[in-house]
Amino acid sequence: MSTRTLISPAALARPRGRLLYWLCFALVVVLFTLAFLGPLYWMVSGGLKTTQEAVQTPPTWVPGSVHPENYRRAWEVMDLARLLLNTLYYAFGALAFQLVLDVAAAYSLSKLRPALGKAILGMMLVTLMIPATVLVVPQYLTVLDVPIVERNLLNSPWAIWLPSVTNAFNIFLLKRFFDSIPKELLDAASMDGAGSLRVLWSVVLPISRPILGVVSIFAVVGVWKDFLWPMLVLPDPTGQTLAVGIYSLATSVPENVLIAALTIASLPTLLLFLVFQRNIMSGLTAGGLKG
Amino acid sequence: MRRARFRRTRRAGAVTLVSALTLTALAACGTSSSSDDDDNGNGNSANADPAVPLDPKTKVTITIDCMPPAAKKAELKEWNEDVEEFNKTYPNVTVQGRSTPGQCLEPPRFTAMLKAKSQPDVFYTYFTDLAQVLDNDGAQDITAYVNDKSVPLLKDIDPDVLGSLQQDGKLYGLPTSNYRMGLLINRSLFEKAGLDPDAPPATWEDVRTAAKKIAGLGGGVSGFGEYSAANTGGWHFTAQMYSLGGDVVDASGKKAAFNDAIGKQVAENLHAMRWEDDSMGKTQLLKWGDLQKQIATDKLGMFLAAPDDIAYMVQQLGAKYENFGMGPIPGGKNTLSGGNNYMIKKGISSDKIKAAIAWLDFKNLSVGKGQFDWERTKADGLPVGVPQPNFWLNDSKTKDDAARTRYATMPVQNFKAFMDNPVQGKAEPPKAQEIYKVLDNVMSGILTNKNADVDKLLSTAETQVNQVLANQ
Amino acid sequence: MSAPTLTQDPAAKERRPRRTRTGAVRPPAGGFGKALRRNVTAHGFLIGAVLCFAFFSWYPIVREFLLAFQKTEDGKVSWTGWDNFVTVWNDPAFGQAWRNTLWFTVLALVLGFAVPFLTALVINEFRHGQGYLRLLVYLPVMLPPTASVLLFKYLYDPGFGMFNEVLDVFGIPAQQWLQDPDTAMLSVVVASTWMNMGGATLIYLAALQSVPGELYEAAELDGAGLLRKVWHVTIPQTRLVLALMLLMQIIATMQVFIEPFLLTGGAGPEGSTTTVVYLIYQYAFNFNNYGAAAALGLILLVLLAAFSAVYTRLNRATEE
Repeated sequence: MSTRTLISPAALARPRGRLLYWLCFALVVVLFTLAFLGPLYWMVSGGLKTTQEAVQTPPTWVPGSVHPENYRRAWEVMDLARLLLNTLYYAFGALAFQLVLDVAAAYSLSKLRPALGKAILGMMLVTLMIPATVLVVPQYLTVLDVPIVERNLLNSPWAIWLPSVTNAFNIFLLKRFFDSIPKELLDAASMDGAGSLRVLWSVVLPISRPILGVVSIFAVVGVWKDFLWPMLVLPDPTGQTLAVGIYSLATSVPENVLIAALTIASLPTLLLFLVFQRNIMSGLTAGGLKG
Repeated sequence: MRRARFRRTRRAGAVTLVSALTLTALAACGTSSSSDDDDNGNGNSANADPAVPLDPKTKVTITIDCMPPAAKKAELKEWNEDVEEFNKTYPNVTVQGRSTPGQCLEPPRFTAMLKAKSQPDVFYTYFTDLAQVLDNDGAQDITAYVNDKSVPLLKDIDPDVLGSLQQDGKLYGLPTSNYRMGLLINRSLFEKAGLDPDAPPATWEDVRTAAKKIAGLGGGVSGFGEYSAANTGGWHFTAQMYSLGGDVVDASGKKAAFNDAIGKQVAENLHAMRWEDDSMGKTQLLKWGDLQKQIATDKLGMFLAAPDDIAYMVQQLGAKYENFGMGPIPGGKNTLSGGNNYMIKKGISSDKIKAAIAWLDFKNLSVGKGQFDWERTKADGLPVGVPQPNFWLNDSKTKDDAARTRYATMPVQNFKAFMDNPVQGKAEPPKAQEIYKVLDNVMSGILTNKNADVDKLLSTAETQVNQVLANQ
Repeated sequence: MSAPTLTQDPAAKERRPRRTRTGAVRPPAGGFGKALRRNVTAHGFLIGAVLCFAFFSWYPIVREFLLAFQKTEDGKVSWTGWDNFVTVWNDPAFGQAWRNTLWFTVLALVLGFAVPFLTALVINEFRHGQGYLRLLVYLPVMLPPTASVLLFKYLYDPGFGMFNEVLDVFGIPAQQWLQDPDTAMLSVVVASTWMNMGGATLIYLAALQSVPGELYEAAELDGAGLLRKVWHVTIPQTRLVLALMLLMQIIATMQVFIEPFLLTGGAGPEGSTTTVVYLIYQYAFNFNNYGAAAALGLILLVLLAAFSAVYTRLNRATEE
């Protein structure tokens, strides 16, 4: 770290300072490890205990006997494979819709500047001010009977995908990024006779890779973590997401099996995170700062 | 599974159903209700006459929910066998089942289904759902279709049970199961604590004494358990009120009736058990499913439950039948009763309705067949001997009881106390959900606050319930 | 620092270049046909998102206002004036839900706002292991919220939970956590902070790295201690980010649902975790009273909007 922080390098260079630094460092590392990995350890090990041991008072730190079959049971009884697939299906569908429609909209608003574009952008941004949970009831009623087309989207993936497009924050992020693309670049391309779509595809998108990454993460994580909305619009148990499915089955399995199921449900994103942590964290910080 | 059986209810009048049915059936052609938009009653052919059962040659497909999920292998196998058997009589009827891994019915999902009118042709509900289903115009009036030809054992079905599926003399469903709440006990904990498992406590004082002894075993064992969250707390508070002869809403249906000596007794007894005796465990805010988990792992001595909880605990939670026993609800004045059933979606063709009734009759309402084929149930390793469902009367009861005893897979005498001392059933209050929400606070107040002011809890709840009842 | 403020600066910056662009690239001689074609293309790109907004955002917003003044009975909709608001107002849970929501917000500010900032401050000081610590803090964010919440419910259990076992190691008596009306909300907030602090911490860390080191040096020359450096340098320098995060935190907190819903069954001991959003949920999906749900939602909406407006104004005032 080359940047200068709160504590001066001179203070750290002194022997007393160095000792203090290492003491604090050790303390923080231990504390953080316990605080953030402790619960996860309790989860993984709880899933290995017998039903009796999982609810024993006082509890045990290390499972008395190890029962990996709880994990298999959780997988089967709660039909986790299906729940996982459902969630992936919804998440990547939402990602596709957002990438296509929101990028197109942001591009249009930023570079093509249609009549009333400002008003439309304004109306989109106003939705950011309306708490999502307030809109849950009228949105839900809309999904039950979509006006004009008169469709009932309950239990259909469209009920997740289409509302996910109304992500004004992502449109805003994209638009701001597009705004920063120098117009000379686009002008050069359109002088060469490239249409708007071509300019978007071969000039704008390649430059925008970082922001597309951020938006994609937001899109996928949004669906992955959402609870209330999928609980309401996907009531059919065979089509539920992982988050909702686990909740609705929580009471009907023994505690140890439930804990094992929680572990399994946590694994995919945890692994994804550990593999791509650098990209994800830098992307989130960049996105967060821009917002 | 039964979390929502305490939903809104309608006090079923003591209608003598059979005669009403016959009358309606006779008059069906002329009185087909104006709200029905299908063509029943208009045609003259046998097919169009609702009173005539399904022609075996009819080709029709019905969809039905609450088919056992793959995880319940034995039950699914029986379902498939039953469909096959049913198709021997009705070869052209296709029964299309939909399964649910968890509870067949969860209130939010159910509400959504009704709103969207996405229920299958034949759909599973609790007795207490009738009002909600009718509000959403979701169920077919099947009065004209149900008679002693389409449901031969109709006369032997407990009229109280059928009564819960009726409104204004019209029938909207056929029962699958019924329950009356009693005191479920863990026999091994009773024995360990030196109590007699064959004589479950019959009064609330006995419950308190027994609970104290069981909790004395230590190791996180509690003697008696109660709910206090997700509206199930209010549901059980109601059950306790009933057990002492009290009520939650007065006869007019407009005023709360629990802020009296009985309400106080219930509340103070629970508070004393929780805080003076420390016999109700430290973990509270429990809801349906939590106490089952506790008693299945020998952490709980007793709680109020319906008999079908036992089958649930054995199948889902890995408990053992021998470990459970049941007595009547302590106090024994009245007990909460309810059940579940199938209704038929409004507006489907009369052939579908007839096919649905034929299937429900075969699967759920025939002694010795379908769900009452106890010989097969035993062979498949499923429980026989749980005292409910039991909505039979007369000959059917005699036959069914005999078969149950003959193929019992569990010690039936464990339920002797419950069977020998039937307590009068009492339905749930109007606006049950809203009232239960308010009463949850009474329960959680008593069970989580050592210094809870019982009088204040009750009087606040009374004000709130009165407001709920006034807002109808 | 809410959305409108954010939109203003890029728009303001662009106003000028846009004029030059239209002038330079597309000469006015292009005329009406060209402008029309350009507009058709532009709206073509826009239409998909606009339709989605129209159906799933703008229409529901309008409907929220309508619903609040309507009543549905037996499938028939009728106007009821302020009846729904009266119903909601008279509900005994109304006052309690607002008190709880405010209390939750206060707790969430103390924990959910301060803890990530302090964490970022501390991590930022270390010359080693920053990557590991950041990883740890962000880990819970990646868990499905149902999993984290149900895990916390298990950890909080007064009998077989981990937390009482940890306290026991230090000789502290067992707590009732979620089971006690006095500590239930706090326990909910702790769980919520654990789950969600990663994102905020990373944002603060990034902001801290942009604080110019010379400022610290200057402060040291003036003899400032650690706390004064934080107060006079770090906080003013990161004020923009802090202000934005504060607003986002409050708005997010007012909408909390899943944590109390799963941890305490929604209502909690003596109703101590009933929040406004949970009440909306109860009205709509348990009691079938969409009108009351919409009325309560509208009240929440108006309050949050008023809050955001006041906040934005105050913020602008302090900036000047």
